[in-house]
Amino acid sequence: MMNFVWLLAVEAAETVEEGGGLFDLDATLPLMAVQFVLLAVALNALFYKPLGKVLDERDGYISSNQVDAAERLAKAEQIAKQYQQELAETRRQAQTVIAEAQEEAQKIASQTVAAAQQEAQAQREQVQRELDEQKSQAMATLEQQVDGLSQQILDKLLGSLAA
Amino acid sequence: MALNMFTIHPLVLAELEVGQHLYWQVGGLKLHGQVFLTSWFVIGVLLLVSFLATRNIQRIPSGLQNFMEYALEFIRDLAKNQIGEKEYRPWVPFVGTLFLFIFVSNWSGALIPWKLIHLPAGELAAPTNDINTTVALALLTSLAYFYAGFSKRGLGYFAKYIEPTPILLPINILEDFTKPLSLSFRLFGNILADELVVAVLVLLVPLFVPLPVMVLGLFTSAIQALIFATLAAAYIGEAIEGHGGEEHG
Repeated sequence: MMNFVWLLAVEAAETVEEGGGLFDLDATLPLMAVQFVLLAVALNALFYKPLGKVLDERDGYISSNQVDAAERLAKAEQIAKQYQQELAETRRQAQTVIAEAQEEAQKIASQTVAAAQQEAQAQREQVQRELDEQKSQAMATLEQQVDGLSQQILDKLLGSLAA
Repeated sequence: MALNMFTIHPLVLAELEVGQHLYWQVGGLKLHGQVFLTSWFVIGVLLLVSFLATRNIQRIPSGLQNFMEYALEFIRDLAKNQIGEKEYRPWVPFVGTLFLFIFVSNWSGALIPWKLIHLPAGELAAPTNDINTTVALALLTSLAYFYAGFSKRGLGYFAKYIEPTPILLPINILEDFTKPLSLSFRLFGNILADELVVAVLVLLVPLFVPLPVMVLGLFTSAIQALIFATLAAAYIGEAIEGHGGEEHG
């Protein structure tokens, strides 16, 4: 097959003298070059420039959007961090408030308890005092009666003796 | 002789016409008409698709705009990889047009049954099937990288001829000739060979057998477009950056 084609090519090449052949260079060459350059210019205006501009613009659009998004992401993260910090701060404050309140309540409670105890003590002491007083009064009364009774007993004993 | 054998065969479904051209005479200049006809078709397709894709540009692309943006990004990546991040932008139109023109040319040659349209002489085929087209593109590439080198480094561009040592001067000068030569012949040879193989296979076994070769041809066509554009960008990048760019070639 290759020989076949080669024969053909040789055959064709041999016909150059008659005006033709494979390697027949003529005015087609420069005109084709001019045509090609014109095509390049036309395609530059019609295809490369507008579409290239679109590609570049899209690249710019995407990258600017990306930068924007990254900025917004950083901002959001910062806000989240701030929120966390504030949350922690608030929690701590709440904790201290609770602790203070508890402390105060404790204090009040202990004060109240102490006051109540004092009062109870005072009342008890007073009651005790009253009791003691009444007891001593009663004792005194009893002693008087004891004296009277013993006098009577004595009188009775002595009277019986004397009689 | 072989040609005659094919053309007079009565049962031939596809004819092989190699080296025959539809000549146009324009002011004493000879032109290959069939090349221009298909190249105008290719140029028309490119312009039409570009127009449709950029008619109503949206920030969120869809349909054709999306597809052409994909193509543009592909071309930009290609140019960026070869020329470098800093310098590639002005060269995107040139490299991109090389790629698109060659690619659409090759695929139009492989996919569109041009041969159904009969011409007085020659036959319609991919524009890259003609040595004039590929040499034109290769010479433009040479001009482009010379321009790139001079505009970037001025006369210091000539210093590259004696780098790394002046002993390599002849080889370095020779390279300026081999670059367009290899570029043009690689493209021309691949596309023509592919077309010939398909034509010969169709000639011998008209049904189904040529299909795998046609698919391979589509692949080769795309690869050739990529290679041409990549090498052009690599040459430009090499001319711009100067040192140590020889490995690209």
